[in-house]
Amino acid sequence: MPTANTLSNRPASDSATVPRASASWLWQAVTGIGLIILASLHMIAHHFVAEGGLRDYAGVVDYLRNPLIIVLEVLFLITVTAHALLGARAILFDFGLSEAAEKRVTQALWMLGTLTVGYGLWLTWTITRNG
Amino acid sequence: MATLRDSKLKRAAQWADVRGRGLGMWAYALNRLTGIGLVVYLYLHLAVLSQLAQGPSAWDGFVRLAKTRLFLTLDVILLAGLLIHGLNGLRVTLNGFGIGVRSQKTLFIVLMSLSAIAWVVGTVMIYGK
Repeated sequence: MPTANTLSNRPASDSATVPRASASWLWQAVTGIGLIILASLHMIAHHFVAEGGLRDYAGVVDYLRNPLIIVLEVLFLITVTAHALLGARAILFDFGLSEAAEKRVTQALWMLGTLTVGYGLWLTWTITRNG
Repeated sequence: MATLRDSKLKRAAQWADVRGRGLGMWAYALNRLTGIGLVVYLYLHLAVLSQLAQGPSAWDGFVRLAKTRLFLTLDVILLAGLLIHGLNGLRVTLNGFGIGVRSQKTLFIVLMSLSAIAWVVGTVMIYGK
């Protein structure tokens, strides 16, 4: 049972004796803290500042004309994808997978993450090009 | 083989069984449940955004739909998930680095109260648009 007697999500075995798990936890924490800032900016910009709560097509194109916005949105995409897939990995590892299966899951999630970020970059490029 | 699979499933789902458990397991389960919900939302969101590649008519049609009461209610649910996962996750991170471990239950209650306040403010803003 993970962390049955603590409010922390950090696995009990996640210490210097298990460096791989430590690195995953650290990345999860770092991306999580980054997301508090980036997701807040994303939500405010898209749902609270935008007139009517959501931008129309012309508004989206105009919004993406600012290079700083593109940098922030791409950073958000990479951070949220990494955080989400690291979380999914932790849940999948709770199934008590073999070392080989854990390796396959990690590879599959890397592939999914790369595809996700690639799709986001393609979409951003398509919108800015069409605009 | 079936028994092995059952035991693995039981082990993997143990975190979700909070019956008779303390606040710690509730916080842990809450973080995972909201996390799973947000991962599902992330991919749905990315799928919906594909309409931007189809041009103004496709996207603007979706925007009209997204401004209906049903979609605004989904936004309100999303906001709750983001606030709970974000602030609970912040506590988990602080505790993981050894900060506020002794007062983690108080921290949890304070941050969840902040989530509730921010959620009410956000809900009013979403429906007010």
